[in-house]
Amino acid sequence: MLGMNTRKKSAMLLLTAVMSISLFGCSTGNTTTGNAAQPAGEGNTAAAAETTKPAGGKLVLYSAGPQKLADNIVSGFTDKTGIEVEMFQGTTGKILARMEAEKSNPVADVVILASLPSAQALKADGLTMPYPDAANADKLNKDWSDAEGNYFSSSASALGIVYNTKLVSTPPTSWAELATPAWKDAVNIPDPTLSGSALDFITGYLSANGEKGWDLLSAYKANGVAMAGANQEALDPVITGAKSIVAAGVDYMAYSSKAKGEPLDIVYPEEGTVISPRPAAILKSSPNVENAKAFIDYLLSDEAQKLVADAYLIPGREDIEATNRANVKDIPQLKVDWNWMSEHGEETAARFSETFK
Amino acid sequence: MDNNRIFRRVGVILALFLLTISIGVPLLLIFWQSVYPDGQWDWMAPIRTITGHHLSGVLLNSVWLGICVVAVTTLLALPLAWMMAKTRMGEHRWVDVILMIPFMTPPYIGSMGWILFMQKGGYLQQWVPSSAGWSELFFSFWGMVLIMSLHLFPFLYLLLRDALIRIGGNLEEAGAVHGARAGYRFRRIILPLLLSSYGMGIMLVFVKTIAEFGTPATFGRKIGYYVMTSEIHKYISSWPIDFGKATSLASVLLSVCLVMWYMQSAMSRKFTYRLVGGKGQRSKRYSLRGGAGWLCGVYLAILLILSIGIPYFSIIAASTMKLRGSGIAFDNLTLDHYKELLSWGSVSMKAIGNSLGLSLAASTVAVIIGTGFALAIGRSSSFMQRVIDLFSLLPNTVPGIVMVVGLILFWNSPWMPVTLYNTYGMVVLTYVVLFLPYTVQYVKSSFTQIDGTLFQAGQVFGGKPLYILRRILIPLILPGMLAGWMMTFTIATRELVGSLLILPPSMQTSATYIFAQFEQGQVSLGMAMAVVTVGMTVLMLLGIELLNSKRKWNAS
Repeated sequence: MLGMNTRKKSAMLLLTAVMSISLFGCSTGNTTTGNAAQPAGEGNTAAAAETTKPAGGKLVLYSAGPQKLADNIVSGFTDKTGIEVEMFQGTTGKILARMEAEKSNPVADVVILASLPSAQALKADGLTMPYPDAANADKLNKDWSDAEGNYFSSSASALGIVYNTKLVSTPPTSWAELATPAWKDAVNIPDPTLSGSALDFITGYLSANGEKGWDLLSAYKANGVAMAGANQEALDPVITGAKSIVAAGVDYMAYSSKAKGEPLDIVYPEEGTVISPRPAAILKSSPNVENAKAFIDYLLSDEAQKLVADAYLIPGREDIEATNRANVKDIPQLKVDWNWMSEHGEETAARFSETFK
Repeated sequence: MDNNRIFRRVGVILALFLLTISIGVPLLLIFWQSVYPDGQWDWMAPIRTITGHHLSGVLLNSVWLGICVVAVTTLLALPLAWMMAKTRMGEHRWVDVILMIPFMTPPYIGSMGWILFMQKGGYLQQWVPSSAGWSELFFSFWGMVLIMSLHLFPFLYLLLRDALIRIGGNLEEAGAVHGARAGYRFRRIILPLLLSSYGMGIMLVFVKTIAEFGTPATFGRKIGYYVMTSEIHKYISSWPIDFGKATSLASVLLSVCLVMWYMQSAMSRKFTYRLVGGKGQRSKRYSLRGGAGWLCGVYLAILLILSIGIPYFSIIAASTMKLRGSGIAFDNLTLDHYKELLSWGSVSMKAIGNSLGLSLAASTVAVIIGTGFALAIGRSSSFMQRVIDLFSLLPNTVPGIVMVVGLILFWNSPWMPVTLYNTYGMVVLTYVVLFLPYTVQYVKSSFTQIDGTLFQAGQVFGGKPLYILRRILIPLILPGMLAGWMMTFTIATRELVGSLLILPPSMQTSATYIFAQFEQGQVSLGMAMAVVTVGMTVLMLLGIELLNSKRKWNAS
């Protein structure tokens, strides 16, 4: 009897303790979240008024995409401004997850993503800070950047058919050809829920072809096209020869592997493809606004755009060309509708995964 | 006696407090998020997620995978544990360290090794072109079970071997004296005594399997076998992010694990016996001659080839290739990746340094706290003790990524007076929380089998609590503490999922370095890093083993 009692009592005690802690935690958490943004914002404007020129300090950058390029840009920026950069490198999905986890106490100043719709979503959620006066912003490709200066696409990559030259002697020239028996079980396609660029291709293809665009994708599935992780994961089996082709492969990865000597090459299908811009944005919660602005200016400078071109990416500025790869004018493009793509990204990705599972 | 009780009471309260802030509250915040998506209270959110996403199929996939892996790990670990505990083979202590290698290998690296070996045009087919048929056989559900079992069996093996050693020879001899045959002795003496450790082992293997992310993400995706963790990870790390759905799925996974835990703890309470008494023990080791010896040797060799040989052949081959598209050939060999990796002051060297420092700090803290918890739990006789038991096991039953998100929500919230997030301390805390269950389980498993009469003897002879602790308790649980420390250290050096989310920007560990190389297409560099870090850990463990070889505990 006594044992029963103490057991019950301690259970109640634990329950109340846990509940009070959780209630206390959550309620205070919620009330302060709303207010926290304001004092931070005020602090920033005050700081901005005092110092017009960034003098040292730091910048926190979350960057998706090729690490070498990001490293080069960061060191170029630090050399020029004396601002120390702390960088987190990951895929677009990882960066967005990190931002979500840090929502109540954000630390990032600038994000560079590998997918335009994600940047549009950040803008729609009111997370970005417009910077309409960015230097050289007028020279950027208008379709890829925000007119109000919420995000700037400082680079882009086109999606093509990447193939192993040891296994493929006459590469396919159209998207439709990949659904023919010649390529049965030999093709990978990146997973659009993991790869922003693959999602851009699929939504782009659908926006240009309407509902019958799904016919091609179903034909792919019927022909044994495998959905295979993010871009690099889809490309690796092609390098080692387990698969022959990546459909909607990122071109800069193909170019840089080819330059290393791997047996790879790329074609852009004649029906046209999608060019996937890589937007950079300043976050509204940024604690170092001036440094963030300086970083955007640097991203759009001649120097940084040259680094972009050297990394086999398409420079975001229309007046700069890459010499080591096909430029925008050489690539046949589908007539895509970015607004439709942003709105339908989520459902398309879900339907695609269902089809290919 | 009163002193002791106060001692214990304080311990229990302290343990509860620590567990609440490090595990309880972060997990509650996760649940809170799952019913409070988009700033609106919505009780139905988790239920809708669960009914609307073919969850039952995915959940069954997870559970079936867990059951099959438990079965195969048992087949692999039990004979080996018997050999190493009861025969002369047990004198080869290096085997234990070597067998830690599969467990130290990041699961996604191990699977990559198998994939590179078995795939079309892979290393096996480059040698034996006629083996194409095996490839198809291998890329199936059973291939996945095999890979995961080969990764997890050392864990079960260590638990079983320690238990078998503790059982000692006397009880079996007693059986023999009374005329029991070998089969009868195994069935009526060894098996019941082994059951508690085995239950704990398979529960952890089961839970590890269904909470594992690396193999489903690399191998499972290839064969189209989707499990709970891959779904959770999808919602948490790919656009559009949905913590609400992820946490709903996580709570289902958690419930499955809790049911397992309940079954295990019920079984363990029924079948726990006090084996380490004051009488001293001898264990008889059979010397292996002739056929039996050969059989054991061959068994060990096959196990080592499958669990270490094949994956590491692939990993090393991939790390020394100039061009991955050129396959295995002498003119395609290079050590450049190692040179790049090990150049002084490079990013990779810093990453190695970070990994070692973090793991040392985390494993040491985890052993101190974990031992405290294990002693507070004692024989899980009171309700509070079972609550501590449950809580300290939670990090092992929640997918790492969910636990980590909870920790971030808690330690980065605006109402916390100190934000630990984005500091070195946060990383250590996360590792400690994630790996605490190992120490707790290992220490608990050695502690529950100590006969209470030993402590009474100490008291009768006037030993003060601290003296008893120092001279009786600690020496007897030291092997458990050491095993927990080693386990924490080795897993912490390869921890990936949490590190990706909590490392301060600009800081890398060896695991995130490897992952980044894969993401960047530098597979060779990533594989070289895997070889270096696992190699270093093995050398370190061998060193510890050598230092320790003088201390013979309970051996003949």
